[in-house]
Amino acid sequence: MTSSCPSSRVERARPLLGTTVKVLVQGMDAPRAHAAIDKAFAQVERVHALMSFHEPASDLSRLHRAPLGERVTVDAMTVEVLEEARQLAEMSGGVFDITIGGQLVRDGLLPSPQGACPPDPSAYWKDIELLETQVCLHRPLWMDLGGIAKGYAVDCAVHALKEHGVTHGVVNAGGDLRFIGTGPHQVAIDTMLPDRANIPALEVGEVAVATSTPRARAAHAAIPHRDALHRLPVGGDLLATVVAPRCVHADALTKVVLALGTQSDAMLRHYDAEAYLQSPAGEWTCIGQVIS
Amino acid sequence: MKSRFLLIPAYALVVAAPVQATVYMSVEQAQAQMFPGATLTPDFVTLTPEQVKAIEKASDVNVLSPNLKAWRVSTGGWFIADQVVGKHEFIPFALALDDKGAVKSVEILEYRETYGDQVRNAAWRAQFTGKTHAAPLKLGTDIQNISGATLSSRHITDGVKRLLATYDLVLSKQPG
Repeated sequence: MTSSCPSSRVERARPLLGTTVKVLVQGMDAPRAHAAIDKAFAQVERVHALMSFHEPASDLSRLHRAPLGERVTVDAMTVEVLEEARQLAEMSGGVFDITIGGQLVRDGLLPSPQGACPPDPSAYWKDIELLETQVCLHRPLWMDLGGIAKGYAVDCAVHALKEHGVTHGVVNAGGDLRFIGTGPHQVAIDTMLPDRANIPALEVGEVAVATSTPRARAAHAAIPHRDALHRLPVGGDLLATVVAPRCVHADALTKVVLALGTQSDAMLRHYDAEAYLQSPAGEWTCIGQVIS
Repeated sequence: MKSRFLLIPAYALVVAAPVQATVYMSVEQAQAQMFPGATLTPDFVTLTPEQVKAIEKASDVNVLSPNLKAWRVSTGGWFIADQVVGKHEFIPFALALDDKGAVKSVEILEYRETYGDQVRNAAWRAQFTGKTHAAPLKLGTDIQNISGATLSSRHITDGVKRLLATYDLVLSKQPG
């Protein structure tokens, strides 16, 4: 297993996207590996700058401040993420909806954006109109890309590494990760449950893996995951790990799986993804998997 | 899309990387990476109690040590090696500032994974030492990748905030 992984390795980590982003490159001499990692981090930094809820200069903040109905020109990356989010919202019947920003602000999970008009509580994903390079909001709303942009940033970093000749490596943004190289790769799942005799792990190929759980927030009243359709915190004490070809989908689908459980099956298959859902008692259910 | 789900007995991961520190870079490597081709001259500072107080007031972050490891960069700017307290351990990191005192980049130098309380607990691990050969699954020597809920990097962000205040109040006033 280890024989497929070249021995030379360069690994670096930076604090980005509100978490620790790690990039590992194997089988490449150090100067080239560092140059590739620099490019990968640059991509993550770019996604961070464009899609941060907090940064006043981000595309997201500019959209929040724009007069209603105005077409705002945004970066192609932002359009791509918003389009992915639109598709996920449509397919999940609105369970995945980035317009939950207003609610997260109200619950104290996000700071109130400066200079933005208060969100309309009835606004939802269909109020975001996507044009080729422009975005137009039809009702005042606040978008939060916290459930999707991290995965997207991982994909961008992976593309940058590949462009620079990397054939073995991994990008891990605080637990949402994607591999380069056929593997097999092993990933442990941090369930945050104490006193377990077994550690759950996955053996995967060249794919992305993401995990979400409200367990980390158990001590606090507010939970960041929302069933946007019902505007309710979801997940109870569940944990969802999703394996998908792209990290943007793995990341976003964890929230859909937390909200819909086994009913997310068709959607997972659409994205060529599969999920592992852990109950509060520690039992695992596989969803979206073809049983052979 | 095919993945294989495994439940690995915790004792099989006794020697696994998740409980150990990952060293990403030495201070020297970080210097070469963050300021390629530049010469760095140490300009270490011991902060006075008044300076510590002023930094804490400006940044709203506690100063852990009055000893500041700062280097002046020949091409302009500063390199600072510092550390913050993470969830359980110190996290050493390096901060590169440009000649205007703005953040150029931050590199984490060393990081300890915190995977599950039981695995983290040294006493718990010790009782299984030597039993790894009994692991029913032939894994690699360790599992280095962990998928989990996002842990905030706020402590590092706070550390950077503290160092920016330190630059503003102390380093920028140092005679060159």
